[in-house]
Amino acid sequence: MNHRPFEDWLLAEEPLTTDQKADLQEHLNSCTTCTALAEVNLALRTRKIAAPAPGFSTRFQSRLAVRRAAQRRRNFWGVLILVGSAVGLFVWMIFPYVQWVLSSPMDVFVTWISTISLVFSSLLAFGKAGSVMLRVASDFIPVYIWVAVFALTGFASLLWVASIRKFAPNFEGVIK
Amino acid sequence: MTEEMDWIIQSQRGNDEAFAKLVEAYQTPVYNLCYRMLGEAEAAEDAAQESFFRAYQNILRYDPQRSFATWLLSIAAHYCIDCLRRRRFTTLSIDDDDDEHPMELPDQSALNPETEAVRQEEQEQMQKALRTLNATDRAAIILRYWYDFSEVEIAENLSLTVSAVKSRLHRARRELAKRWKEEQPRTRLERRSHESPAF
Repeated sequence: MNHRPFEDWLLAEEPLTTDQKADLQEHLNSCTTCTALAEVNLALRTRKIAAPAPGFSTRFQSRLAVRRAAQRRRNFWGVLILVGSAVGLFVWMIFPYVQWVLSSPMDVFVTWISTISLVFSSLLAFGKAGSVMLRVASDFIPVYIWVAVFALTGFASLLWVASIRKFAPNFEGVIK
Repeated sequence: MTEEMDWIIQSQRGNDEAFAKLVEAYQTPVYNLCYRMLGEAEAAEDAAQESFFRAYQNILRYDPQRSFATWLLSIAAHYCIDCLRRRRFTTLSIDDDDDEHPMELPDQSALNPETEAVRQEEQEQMQKALRTLNATDRAAIILRYWYDFSEVEIAENLSLTVSAVKSRLHRARRELAKRWKEEQPRTRLERRSHESPAF
């Protein structure tokens, strides 16, 4: 049986003219497929609303309290395990040094002093070398090259910031 | 500012009593959506509770430009779709009848007890037919007919295009009609001549 255009009318759910209604009624008298569709339309329009058992809000509050307590317990144990692991790792790592310090404190003191003096002398040497390099470079490299280098660096930084802002996810958005 | 918006803002500031007011106001629509989607009272209760919990957790992400009801129902619909997809792999008893029925709100338009009984029977038949639809089609049908959502709103809620929603609604109603015909070969339209026509 040809259901067109009756099925389309029923699916579109748009108002029909009197003639269309009469044609459709005639078709429905002989077509069980379209009749079922018409009945489904009617049943969907007369739908009922199911309501929860009384006390839904109270049950929600109770569940929320239970979940929060569980969350607090999880947080507590999580922090405890993290801190315990960090302390354990720290003790395990420094244990050989502690032994060494306790066995020969004078050697340790001498080593520290020599390390500190080495760091200071290295820094001074680097500083002197850097100032010499700058003086030499400023004589050879013209000013406009310096300006170009600084401008390029600034532009690259701006581009980086702009791209981060454009492509980073919007965390304030709504759940879709 | 509306009372509801005040509750939302208070909830965003961590006021649980304000969120409880929102739960009170929206418990029936959210529960009804879950019941129509899942078809069991107990599962619907759990899903509705979980939906409110997710809304509670994400209340700071709610955009006041959107309708709160739409946002909340969207959370519930997505949760139910996930449940149905998980369920498909864990149980095959989806077509079984369950004896549990939630309380249904009285129909003010019912003319007499006989009409009410017929409607009740039809609702049960519709609930059975709904179970045969896939999760997304079912959500589209429920949002369209139980919540009067437009096709655009359904598309936004279910992350679909408007044309996909239209095609899903058409396909779903054809499928429902097929099941309806199988379940009830005898037409009821004649019995219901006093009611508004189906077209």
